[in-house]
Amino acid sequence: MRVGLFPNEGGGSYRFVIMALAAIGVLISSLPVIIVTIMSFSASDNTGFPPQALSLRWYQEVIALFTQADGSSAQSVVDATLTSLLVAVIVMSISTLVCIPLAYALTRGDRRIRTGMELLFTLPLVFPLVILGIAFLLIAESLRLDIGIWRIVIPHIALVLPFVLRNCLGAMSGIHPEIEEAAISLGASPLRAIWDVVIPLMKAGILAGLIFALIISFNEFTITFFMYTIDVSTLPIWMYSRTVSSLDPSTLALSVFIIFADIVLIVLVDKLIAGRASLF
Amino acid sequence: MITRNDHLHIDGISKNFGDVKALADIDLKIQRGSFVCLLGPSGCGKTTLLRIIAGFETATTGRLLLDGNDITQQPPHKRGFGMVFQSLALFPHMTVAQNIAYGLKLRGINGKARRERVDELLNVIQLPLIADRPVSALSGGQRQRVAIARALAIQPPLFLLDEPLSALDAKLRDSMQIELRQLQQKFGVTTILVTHDQHEAMMLADELVVMKDGAIRQSAAPATVYRHPADSFVADFLGAANLVDAGQVSGGAIQLLGRPMSIPSKHPENTHLQAAVRAEHITLRPAGASDGSAVGTILFMRDLGPLTELVVDVAGENLRVRSTNAASQGMAVGSKVSVIVDPEHVSVFAAS
Amino acid sequence: MSIGLSRKRALAFSLPALLAITPFLGACFYIFRFSISAETGTIQGFSIRPYLDLMTPFFGRSVWLTVKLAFIATLIAMVLAVPLAFVLTSLRSPLARRCLTVTILLPLILNLLVQAYGWILLLGPSGVLNTTLRGLGIIDRPLFLLFNETGVLLGLVQTSLPLAVFPIVSSVRGLSQEHLEAASSLGASQWQTLRDITLPLLRPGLLGAASIVFAFNASAFAVPLLLGGRRVQMLGVAIRDMISPLFNWSGAAAAGMILIGITLFVLVFTSWLVRITSRNVRD
Repeated sequence: MRVGLFPNEGGGSYRFVIMALAAIGVLISSLPVIIVTIMSFSASDNTGFPPQALSLRWYQEVIALFTQADGSSAQSVVDATLTSLLVAVIVMSISTLVCIPLAYALTRGDRRIRTGMELLFTLPLVFPLVILGIAFLLIAESLRLDIGIWRIVIPHIALVLPFVLRNCLGAMSGIHPEIEEAAISLGASPLRAIWDVVIPLMKAGILAGLIFALIISFNEFTITFFMYTIDVSTLPIWMYSRTVSSLDPSTLALSVFIIFADIVLIVLVDKLIAGRASLF
Repeated sequence: MITRNDHLHIDGISKNFGDVKALADIDLKIQRGSFVCLLGPSGCGKTTLLRIIAGFETATTGRLLLDGNDITQQPPHKRGFGMVFQSLALFPHMTVAQNIAYGLKLRGINGKARRERVDELLNVIQLPLIADRPVSALSGGQRQRVAIARALAIQPPLFLLDEPLSALDAKLRDSMQIELRQLQQKFGVTTILVTHDQHEAMMLADELVVMKDGAIRQSAAPATVYRHPADSFVADFLGAANLVDAGQVSGGAIQLLGRPMSIPSKHPENTHLQAAVRAEHITLRPAGASDGSAVGTILFMRDLGPLTELVVDVAGENLRVRSTNAASQGMAVGSKVSVIVDPEHVSVFAAS
Repeated sequence: MSIGLSRKRALAFSLPALLAITPFLGACFYIFRFSISAETGTIQGFSIRPYLDLMTPFFGRSVWLTVKLAFIATLIAMVLAVPLAFVLTSLRSPLARRCLTVTILLPLILNLLVQAYGWILLLGPSGVLNTTLRGLGIIDRPLFLLFNETGVLLGLVQTSLPLAVFPIVSSVRGLSQEHLEAASSLGASQWQTLRDITLPLLRPGLLGAASIVFAFNASAFAVPLLLGGRRVQMLGVAIRDMISPLFNWSGAAAAGMILIGITLFVLVFTSWLVRITSRNVRD
């Protein structure tokens, strides 16, 4: 019998317990998303379970929300979605552009510096978001500058840096220095060697980092909750303000769109970094 | 002094990594068109020396002269020495043809000229049909050839190889050695190869440079190094040599295995001497004939087909012997044998 | 490597990223400076009043609740994450592996509101669970699982689970199959192998993952806000309340510093623990 952490056959109580715990983990992870998806197809006005009948009426309502220019709310869902996308795209571009050279410098440079820098760029991951939100809000208020969309972009960049850097570092770690030296020995300057050889080989990791940054920024709630203004607001904030008093099934339908987009993007990331462990 | 034929002159190169001395005052002149092997155990500094020649390391002191021009400060990409790396370092995102063409592209050679040069090299390495394959689809030997072709495509003044064959299995390595040597002669390019494999070095080199602890121990033609090792390290590193203590007797002759032997010795009297005798230079005869030679006892014996490997105890020294006729003479473990050493094949040096 | 990277180029390559993270560092410093301000509304002078003012039973309860919930959630997440990592690394089919990866990873990055909606629909007074249990006649009155500690705990476990699973997956991948086979060949049962071989070898990875999960949970804001309501005052929510209805900026900053202190202490403590224990393994 093949010995393993999770035996494929036999195994008695061990296999059963591992299986049961993993199943609970999967349930906790997925149940909310599954319920939201089911309820979004409900035909009734309330959110009682199980749905008495199925319909697509809430989806029609979401589409209506997006297509009908509605002057009633201060900021429409279309504006919020566009802002969210714009923020996410800027965040993703900037964070990736700064992380590629950093990942190169850390991989090829002094090992002691690398440990310290990696720690520094992991900090935003474990730093309490509330405090970050408050701090950015205070700074933005005290500066009295109208920086528009950048009041959300700048904090988001800090937030996604750990994820993007990990992906770039993972991509760099597989590139043997000899491959750069080979290019140099053939006549490429060190910068040219990076451009011709290192960047193409990092492509998968770079793309994974880009997508990670995109989804994290697009879904971010906590910091944006402090930073949003009447003019600059994102989709999660729009959803929050709409459901703060009661849950409306059309929001569920909108959620399903977001869930679907996220799943597609995660599958893409997983495909890009297939086999390698460092999701983050 | 530079002669016309000195292609590369390594002039007093030293390299320190922090407090560690990796290379100490290396002097070497490399002839145009010759094949030089840097041979030594790991950590002897051979790879560091090659990387200094390539420009990937900077020497702490000393100069590199190529055709009399000082290139010590020249960055590696300006030197344009083709290099084959231990990992081969083929570009995985390019096809075979793109790999070979890369150096040409950097030199601004475009279009037809580039295609023709790539085709020419693919023919030379006998792989004309794989031009458009990704390098990941190649076998070990094919990757090897592509790496060599990529380096030679740019017509480098120096062709550098860092243990390029070490990843191949023994049989493939043998045939690649022959192929590599033929390629080098065809292109007539001055070549420096680093290896720790003495057989490979003997197969390939015009000149063998044996290194240890960051210094050159001996530099000569392979046959010379093998037959007349400069010291006990070289004798030991190149093939199975027996190192035995040799007392010095008066009149320049030495004492070997308890018998005097007339080998002229330049060493002053009363120095502690060692002698190296190769396993195949010892002849065994059934004991009895009192010809004045040393007598030993066979401790181990193994028939390897073309020859027999033995260990013989002579006056407390365990000698390894390779014999072509031991088995046929009815020798066995425990037999007493006469041990005859040909003075011509004994090298003597001061004990280290 | 000497051609590798000159100091100047290394700096030039790092500079853009350092620039990008500067606002974050600035924000950290700003909070620290505000927490020792003599005024509650602006930065003015120096005082430790903001910290002293926090020495109330209410704030103490909030700290205790935060540590307790984060600890329990971390424990549950770890117990679930190890089996999940085992299963994830032994799946042969790429499709199954991909599905499981997406399922586990989604809660970390999916809009937290969407997940909160899910929990409300599941556990609310008229949610799936209560409707089903009442329908089966097991309970008469709805169970209150939401807007209390249970709901927050579930949300924390769910969102932090991926932070536990993926580092453990990398550790498991580094585990040699031969160790397991050696233990098995010596007669160890699977439970004994788990206890004596696998878990000790995974310990550095497990401790590292647990410390990050704890820091993440202790800092949680959206989950307690959305699933805990006003009743579960974890530090994140308490800090928000200090500024939103009370406008006590310096107090919020000081509370924030205490929260950072707690998470940093746990991170440093575990990395010290990892160093100590891995030294023992090597000797």
